Amino acid sequence: MKDAASAREMATGRSTPLPAASGGPAILVRDLTVRFGGGAAPPVLAVDRVSLSLKSGEFVSLVGPSGCGKTTILNLLTGLLPVAMEGKVTILGKPPRPGNPDIAYMLARDSLLPWRTALGNAAYGLEIRNVPVQQREAQARELLARVGLADFCNAYPKALSHGMRQRCALARTFCLGSPVFLMDEPFGALDAQTKLQLEDVLMDLWSAAQRTVLFVTHDLAEAVALSDRVIVMSARPGRIIADVPITLPRPRSVRALQKDEEFHKLYARLWGLLEQGSGSNGS
Amino acid sequence: MVPKALLNLPARPRLALSSRSMVTLAAHALFIVAFISMWEFAAQRGILDPTFFGRPSGIWNYLWTGFVTGKKLWLELGYTVTGALISFAAGSVTAIAFGLLFTTYPPLHRAAEPYLTLLNAMPRIALAPLFLLWFGLGIGSKIAVGVSLTFFIVLSATVAGIRGVASDHLILSKALGATPHQVFFKVTLPSAVPVIFSGLRLGLIFALLGVVGAELIAAEHGLGQTLAYLQSTFSMDGVMALLFLLALLGLGVTAIMNRMERALLSWQ
Repeated sequence: MKDAASAREMATGRSTPLPAASGGPAILVRDLTVRFGGGAAPPVLAVDRVSLSLKSGEFVSLVGPSGCGKTTILNLLTGLLPVAMEGKVTILGKPPRPGNPDIAYMLARDSLLPWRTALGNAAYGLEIRNVPVQQREAQARELLARVGLADFCNAYPKALSHGMRQRCALARTFCLGSPVFLMDEPFGALDAQTKLQLEDVLMDLWSAAQRTVLFVTHDLAEAVALSDRVIVMSARPGRIIADVPITLPRPRSVRALQKDEEFHKLYARLWGLLEQGSGSNGS
Repeated sequence: MVPKALLNLPARPRLALSSRSMVTLAAHALFIVAFISMWEFAAQRGILDPTFFGRPSGIWNYLWTGFVTGKKLWLELGYTVTGALISFAAGSVTAIAFGLLFTTYPPLHRAAEPYLTLLNAMPRIALAPLFLLWFGLGIGSKIAVGVSLTFFIVLSATVAGIRGVASDHLILSKALGATPHQVFFKVTLPSAVPVIFSGLRLGLIFALLGVVGAELIAAEHGLGQTLAYLQSTFSMDGVMALLFLLALLGLGVTAIMNRMERALLSWQ
């Protein structure tokens, strides 16, 4: 409890640098408080004074027990969740709004459109953003090739495995070329092995095109393997209890890391923090 | 009626029948021949009274004179099929339009729902006498009954289809910045098509049912009217022939809808 409190002291926005006039943080959340409900029922405090800041090109994971508000923060950034909030949220210096072209959003479920081929799905985001057909299909083909689906451009989602569908969703996300990625447990529904494979695909794509990624997950190993920093949140009301830099060298192979000693040390440390965070709010 | 490309879709391998399906086909042929022969034999020997059951040779004669030497049955078939198609087209187009309206303005749907439920609960064929008074003995009253059946089926399928759109697809599209127009044409409508289509398939069958039912009650033309007349004059060969014809018609309608569905929804 005491440790958690001091870790929070150390980690929360109090020490977060303010955005500079130019080259400011890609994602900035300052003193964010979110309450749900209201009306007859007393409002539930979901997110409590959360501050975080992502530099451009940084890969940051947000971990925490379920219900800690990590998805709420992500949804706020997409602008899809019009909730009463206090504090300040900006993406590339601008307030969130739905359909912000600076953002690419990826969900846990692949949400491929079943009536479109892999190619049509990979190009879907660009189609919504009115990119001409030839250009968007060329881009989609290239991305599908890079996620290993070159031979499945014309396959419908029903013919693809879970892993392949999520590869296709990755292609759709990277196709967008948005500088900021918000990913909500994109590999949460996959089996362990497919997950490792796709994490490596993600690392390849990410290191080729440096994007700012805010990655929500409850899988600590995933967070450690992928991120530059891991931010740990407590159980509801969600507070940041630690902000741990991951110093593992890049480029990383997620599969090779599984046997890395440093990786396991970081994992154990984060696990301890997470346990404290959930425990202190259990009552 | 249906674009040729849709009907031609998977070319049926007429010549390249496997030996297994040849055997099945032969067995079916044998069964049908045996069944008809026994019926004919029983009718000749007076085991089955042809006054009540008809006889195959009589049925054949009736169909032959109706379709080949005379043209009477073509005319009646034409009336019924035309009535069914018009009911289907009018009923499903209005139903889809109302479905879109109701899903766009849910309060309107909530307001209209009790009345629609009441109307839909009514046995529609019971409305036929009323429609006969309003629209006359001709095809108009038949279409009215057909529409009254088709409309509700296609309406509920349209509403269910549009409501059933996956929320993930909507969230994703909105996050991508899709306009309401894009969401409707790229997500909502395509995802509703399979459900609407199964409504249309049922709707067509019910349009046929409504038209034939109304013809049975009172009409100047149509297979239903012919059937009622033959029954009242105790012409069992004709009745049997007409029943056979109606079954074939229903089968044909279903087959056409199946083909269209397969062509349109190959992704399923």
